[in-house]
Amino acid sequence: MVLDFNTLYTFPGRFERLFEDFFKPQFAEGRRMAYPPLNVSEDEVAYYVRSELPGLPLDALELTLTDKSLVIKGERPTEQGKYYRQERPAGFFQRVVALNVPVDRDAVKASLVDGVLTVTLPKCAECIPRKISIDVG
Amino acid sequence: MTEATEIKNEAKPLPRVSPATDILEREDGFYVYMDIPGVRREDLKIDINENELLVTGRANQGASDKETFLEVQFGPGEYVRAVALSDLVDREGIKANLKDGVLMIHLPRMEKAAPRRIPIQTA
Repeated sequence: MVLDFNTLYTFPGRFERLFEDFFKPQFAEGRRMAYPPLNVSEDEVAYYVRSELPGLPLDALELTLTDKSLVIKGERPTEQGKYYRQERPAGFFQRVVALNVPVDRDAVKASLVDGVLTVTLPKCAECIPRKISIDVG
Repeated sequence: MTEATEIKNEAKPLPRVSPATDILEREDGFYVYMDIPGVRREDLKIDINENELLVTGRANQGASDKETFLEVQFGPGEYVRAVALSDLVDREGIKANLKDGVLMIHLPRMEKAAPRRIPIQTA
């Protein structure tokens, strides 16, 4: 947090901040387990897989859709220079999302906006629940 | 941002998250990189306050209300991070750039003041 070059600077609120950081867990429990973090959600028409992938263009990512899973693969580059502080993760990563549901494989779309990847997996037309009207004969 | 959304945002405080930050030095000065995925340019603020540079950004999740979540590992939040500036930094020349969810701040080094001799006056 601090670019220290000498000790003569005054840091108002620095001590309080230390306490604040200590007592408040920054991340929810599951968050630091795997990288990158994923959100999976669904609505009526599709499943959505979202992931925080800052600093990566879409072509540096490898998305593979296999029979049973969606694989997100890539590498986060490191910057050149003399590091004073390094908190951003770097290197290869991979996450596998198991798909236990049928999806419309040809209509899968991915977009990357502001470092958030969204993969849209549309539900196949056959598996959206439909009402069947019963004719009383 | 319209006034209506501002009021809505204020009503529901977002969790504050300290973004992962790299600080490094190169020939032409210092570079600060912050991972702030999900923050749009208009939701990001950078303030310089004496010898502190404060970055605040609001990340919204691109999800619609209709979605039900099966797995949640990240969420909307407010990124807050302060970086202390040393006297070596030229405050006027600070540049910031937001790309793909990474904020890069360039803190150029102050031009060295030319040495000069102080004339001594005799009373």
